Amino acid sequence: MNKQPITSRVHLPILIATAIILLVVVPVLHRCGIISDFTLGNWGKYLCYGILAISIDLLWGYTGLLCLGQALFFTLGGYMMGMYLMRSIGGKAMPTFLSMRGFTEWPSFFLPFSSFPFAMLMMVVVPGLLALGFGFLAFRSRIKGVYFSILTQALTYGAALLFFRNEMLMGGNNGFTDFRTLLGFDLRDIGTKRSLYIATALLLIGVVALCKWLTGSRFGLIQRAIRDSENRVLFSGYATANYKLFVFVISAVIASFAGALFVPQVGIINPSEMDTSKSLEAVVWVALGGRGTIIGPVLGAISVNALKSWASSGATADFWPMILGGSFVLVVLFMPKGIVGLPAQIQGVLARLKKKKEEEEIPAISEKSPATDP
Amino acid sequence: MLKDFITTLTSQIFSLMLIGFVSSSACFAEVKEKFIRETIASATVAATPDEQREIILTLKLKPTPEAVTWFEKWKSGEIFLHDDGAGVITPVVLTGTADGDDSFATAKLSDGTPCLSADGKVVRINPKTVDFAETDSGLRRAMKEVSDLVALADPDLTNRLRAIKESAIGQKIEKLPVLQLLRTKEKNAAAIRALDETIAIIQLRSTDPAERVAACRKLGEIQSLSAYDTVKTILAESKAKGDKPMVDAAGEALKSIDSHISRINAAGTAFRGLSLGSVLLVVAIGLAITFGLMGVINMAHGEFIAVGAYTTYVIQNFFANGLKLSPFGVSMSLPGLHLTHGADSYFIVALPASFLIAALVGVALERSVIQFLYKRPLESLLATWGISLVMQQILKFIFGSNNVQVSSPAWLSGSWTINDVQFVWNRVFVIGFAVVIIVITWLVLNKTSLGLLIRAVMQNRNMAACMGVRTERVNTMTFGFGCGLAGLAGAFLSQMANVGPSMGQLYIVDSFMTVVVGGVGNIMGTVISALGIGMSDQTFQQYLGNPVIGKILVLGAIILFLQWRPAGLFVTRSRSLD
Repeated sequence: MNKQPITSRVHLPILIATAIILLVVVPVLHRCGIISDFTLGNWGKYLCYGILAISIDLLWGYTGLLCLGQALFFTLGGYMMGMYLMRSIGGKAMPTFLSMRGFTEWPSFFLPFSSFPFAMLMMVVVPGLLALGFGFLAFRSRIKGVYFSILTQALTYGAALLFFRNEMLMGGNNGFTDFRTLLGFDLRDIGTKRSLYIATALLLIGVVALCKWLTGSRFGLIQRAIRDSENRVLFSGYATANYKLFVFVISAVIASFAGALFVPQVGIINPSEMDTSKSLEAVVWVALGGRGTIIGPVLGAISVNALKSWASSGATADFWPMILGGSFVLVVLFMPKGIVGLPAQIQGVLARLKKKKEEEEIPAISEKSPATDP
Repeated sequence: MLKDFITTLTSQIFSLMLIGFVSSSACFAEVKEKFIRETIASATVAATPDEQREIILTLKLKPTPEAVTWFEKWKSGEIFLHDDGAGVITPVVLTGTADGDDSFATAKLSDGTPCLSADGKVVRINPKTVDFAETDSGLRRAMKEVSDLVALADPDLTNRLRAIKESAIGQKIEKLPVLQLLRTKEKNAAAIRALDETIAIIQLRSTDPAERVAACRKLGEIQSLSAYDTVKTILAESKAKGDKPMVDAAGEALKSIDSHISRINAAGTAFRGLSLGSVLLVVAIGLAITFGLMGVINMAHGEFIAVGAYTTYVIQNFFANGLKLSPFGVSMSLPGLHLTHGADSYFIVALPASFLIAALVGVALERSVIQFLYKRPLESLLATWGISLVMQQILKFIFGSNNVQVSSPAWLSGSWTINDVQFVWNRVFVIGFAVVIIVITWLVLNKTSLGLLIRAVMQNRNMAACMGVRTERVNTMTFGFGCGLAGLAGAFLSQMANVGPSMGQLYIVDSFMTVVVGGVGNIMGTVISALGIGMSDQTFQQYLGNPVIGKILVLGAIILFLQWRPAGLFVTRSRSLD
């Protein structure tokens, strides 16, 4: 584990410029017809994935907890939004997954979801409580490292099995789809789509700001201390379990909101979203972008997904898993700090090369000087 | 005329039967066969279909397989009716080979002697021009009745048991005398039990109330599973009629059968739990080495299982008719050995081959990637996941994305049934296989010099290196060994599960769970946790009747279990903190 804190090398002006581009320039260009609807929709998805990636980074990059269940919280948020969207379809007819099981009225737990504030509350409460309960059990018995990863993966696997069942009354295999309106706006309307994109961009910027503040505070210091040597922090009198629990819950809620914004933009939510490979894929974005930085995960999520959209159609479709898997191995082996750390890494390599060259030259000048340690 | 014939026949039959019971020497067998031929011969020429049927039905009193052979010949038109021109019709069969005009020599059906015409010559007939004996549906039904009886007396036990069980269907009282007769002759215990069962089931429909009650008691006593539904129906009927003794008897019988069923279910659950535990053990033992001993989170473990399974597939085709592959668009063809017994013997070769291939791939992986990641366990998780994606895709390119067919050797299919509990062969085999693998692993780790080095390096790498152990090489060997075990698991799973490029994904979560629960770095812990997880999974499944909920409960139980023992069942004690 890297002992030095990885500080973000991206400066504030660049961040603000990016925020303005995402939040203002892209929607305006779309309005003018320069950016197509399809591209805007894709970018909405990428930004959702970016938020998910930050939530993973908060846990993994800053606290050293590799959670392989982030897709579960993402999907849970999506399902909460899905329940609201299902309720707002309107009309007398029950959705097929209910009518098929003989329901003529909505089951009682669906009823309050007709209110959007309630659905939003649930987006916080359901994943938050799950993370709280699971985290409490896990951190109390000091399950960490790989064990934590494997257990969160098992949790996700179990939840996916549950959601695949029709008895769960959550749409089973097919999940929720055929949404019509969100807060009274038609989802097929291009204006609604643009608003959803702007909402996603806003959330992303908010989450980036929140994480910047959180990791820059005293709390963030302890977080990184836990990552680098938990026992020392523990022996210094900090209740590390509580800190970890807090981060775990926060990141679960962030992932849940990302999922909630994802669903109306793609128009479907089903249990395949919480497949174990989805969580791992999201971890890839973080690793590729650069963990332990705020902007790295977003960069990773956007670049991998943009590459995926480009590569997984046409002739290269068959090779996509190989590209993804192969690039992952390469990143882990050769770019431990990801894209964000690449300039520094190159600089380091260049500096070493230069030093070596100088060292080679020095003995040529004075044969007597002893060789310095590399 | 017919009446007389039948009377003589019947007396003949009874004398024959008596003789038959006492002995069945060759002499009597001849008499028997002659009698059957005569009977059938007379049936073919009987005047009306009704008469034909009655004659055939007399054979019910002495059912023999020969009769069935003759029925088959009759039905397929191999019995011809030779008319000598004077109105006498003789049933004949063809013998020898065809001559120039497609005619055959004939023999009399009644005794097998050549059929001679008035001038003493053998009659030759052309099958295309002479009528053959026909059958109608009534006659065929009569034949079926006789054949059923023949099956009841079939010398082969499985056929006989099946026939006995089938005759209970419909509860026809008229079948009782024959069954009871057979019961007195039967010597095999299983057949006696089946006969008792069938007789009792039929007697439930008897007109005599006492007999009905007795039959019911008998069924309860022998705890007959096949009578369960019938007894239930009887109970409902008797309740409706208010037949008190019958209600009591049926209720008791049901209770007794119920307790038998729950015992069978318990035994079946235990057996399935044991075999599921063994499967878990077989797939997790490789991981117990790579993850447990070495600390490498090998997410590609499942793909090594797939490599083993595909090796088995290739070996199977190599022993049979070869294999055509087109990896990356290049068409390749593997020649086959065309062995006749290939289907049975390939597996013996496939086991070591799958171990070797998977181990070689593992060694290559360790050298190229894993060796740089020993100090970064979380990153080894990510890198090996990337490798698993690549390996899946390579398998897809070589073998196609559909599942491939791996056939089981004959000695792996089939099952034993002991006291109504079924033991499927390949499940029994997996238990034995797991035992063998554990013993081999234990021997390698504890009784070989490689094992000594492995343990030394895993306990304290630096110290081992100081003592002159080439730790890098030991790492490679250990990783190869773990991957080889995964390949072995794949060879076995190819016999009981689908073989496809993504098959490994099914086992990865389970394998990690098993190793984590068992306690890292301890083979014994893995054994106990595999069996424990397998048993509890099957028990939950049995009592909840729902595999998914059972599985989720097991996952929940594991999470709670780790509260109690965070480091698994067996903890490797160490003074180091991090």
